[in-house]
Amino acid sequence: MTISHQPILDGVDPEIMDTLVTRRDAIRRGASVSSTVAAGLAMGSVPVMMAALSKDAYAQAPSAILDVLQFAFILESLENEFYKAVLGTSTNSAQNAAFAGVRAQISASAQQVFRQIQKHEQQHTDFLRGTAIPLFGGRAPSWTANDFDFTGGSGSGNGPFLQATTQLDHLLLVAQAVEDTGVRAYKGQAGRLLVNGDDRADVALESALRIHSVEARHAAKIRRLRRSMNMNDTTLRFSGYVMGGGVAAAGAGNIANPPAGAVAALGLIYGGEDNTVHTVFNGTAAVNLDAATLSGLDVIGDANARRQAAMMAFDEPLSKEQVVAIVRGFIRSDSGHALP
Amino acid sequence: MAKNTQNSADALVVADADELMRPTTRRNFVRVMGAGGAVVLLPGVFSACSMTPGMGATGTGATAMDGGALTFDLRSDIGIFRLVHTLEQLEAAFYTAVVGSASFGTFFNAGERELFTDLRNVEIVHREFVRTALGSQAVPDVTGSINTTTLNAILSSRDGILGAARLFEHLGVSGLNGAGKYLQDARNLLLAGKFVSVEARHAAALRDLAPPSGQSANTAFAGDDIIDMNGMDVKLEAGAALDRVAATNLVRNGAVSSRNISNAPTATQGKASANFFPTTP
Repeated sequence: MTISHQPILDGVDPEIMDTLVTRRDAIRRGASVSSTVAAGLAMGSVPVMMAALSKDAYAQAPSAILDVLQFAFILESLENEFYKAVLGTSTNSAQNAAFAGVRAQISASAQQVFRQIQKHEQQHTDFLRGTAIPLFGGRAPSWTANDFDFTGGSGSGNGPFLQATTQLDHLLLVAQAVEDTGVRAYKGQAGRLLVNGDDRADVALESALRIHSVEARHAAKIRRLRRSMNMNDTTLRFSGYVMGGGVAAAGAGNIANPPAGAVAALGLIYGGEDNTVHTVFNGTAAVNLDAATLSGLDVIGDANARRQAAMMAFDEPLSKEQVVAIVRGFIRSDSGHALP
Repeated sequence: MAKNTQNSADALVVADADELMRPTTRRNFVRVMGAGGAVVLLPGVFSACSMTPGMGATGTGATAMDGGALTFDLRSDIGIFRLVHTLEQLEAAFYTAVVGSASFGTFFNAGERELFTDLRNVEIVHREFVRTALGSQAVPDVTGSINTTTLNAILSSRDGILGAARLFEHLGVSGLNGAGKYLQDARNLLLAGKFVSVEARHAAALRDLAPPSGQSANTAFAGDDIIDMNGMDVKLEAGAALDRVAATNLVRNGAVSSRNISNAPTATQGKASANFFPTTP
């Protein structure tokens, strides 16, 4: 039997302590307190009050939800315009021309893969613009193909991923990285969409989850495609998993002499994917469990094999700030657009 | 990574959260928390919740599934993770049987065996993680309730294995996509999110390897039958997901079905939406 000696509500969790403090201040000021919190306070019951506070504290104002949706719209627009440029269907002829070299190398079957993925990204932007953002009283920001620089050069057109416009291996690596960034970004934002008892928030959250898993499907397919072209690179799992963390998890072994900027970007995109410690909250306390050292994993193999499996078994989130740091290079600096 | 805070002046060690309800322990809890300290809970995580309204757990840990005692109270995060635990158990048991079957080496080539072994390993990690988190609220071992006639029929052909695997992965994706809105804590939602994208990777890989009838080999990974007009993936409410488990007849006597749901989520947790799931995922 495993005994976990994890600290509860310890350092990993500054957020909840912050929100608890904020909430306490609100209570002191006489702000409205939910009946459960009030009941918990009245009963002097710490677990009841803590549980209720945590739920209250995480409640999001519509503006926070709108912020998530508008952020998602920018990421989806980036993805959509990227694939359109790759396929030569962008409204921006310069971007179509930029990818002409690599386009000629894409097989008919891989073209079909890209078209299917692009269709989904278009559907995601349409849904966010036409349904989700208006639901919260907002308007989707205006982004066009010209606002992006898919070389990662912040508008120079000469960034660290320039080779993706001429070499298929690079292109597929960028596509995989873009999809995995999408998966991690949605995962990181899901909690901001969680508002129990708000029907509109349910729409936003469930839609985000359903888009999130589609991005994971895309990433898995591209990984399998890359593996089929690099059969010896076992980092590119046939199962579509992210194996390990950091730049090694990109499976970029087939890329000779990658630019330092690309290595750095991939390090950010896959940073922390090797985490095996995850938090669960039981209404009273948050506990961290290390998935690599659980009992019952013996059939997997030795400790190293168990850790590898534990790293693959959980996809990790990225914070909004982390995502912004990754995508900043793909946005033209002179566009008049600022990332939120 | 886990820090051992035993015997530290600012840590409180409790065997279960009920201890927190006892006056002496509770005073210590308040003192420790006030000092920015830690509480150490042994050993199950979710077993703590039975005293918390809205987090009420049902089901006792020791009963067999055939006994009809397996229940899911979806008014709590515990109940939802019990459901997840059930699915993860079935998946892990299924892939363990696949990888261990006599025909594994003949039905599948090296790359396919790599895939199935990864799936087995990852589902075992999921199963053990949720079991550990649930502690005394964990779902009883399901392996004794598996219908071996059904399992052997599935294992007797490559297509049978691939079809069942696709179904299970899609039940995982759709169930988690449907349940997320009912979770009450953002950290538990994040945990569910960490699971669901991994299940989606499985689902895509399996469909890519073996597209269902009528699906293009190049688009099956996210085909038009499983992704709707808004670019959204499958989703099922819990009862529908469980009934599809029952329909596989992989668990004896329909021991896992929507009748296991003792309480649906409340309206304040979330609003049910239309299911989206193909006949043959």
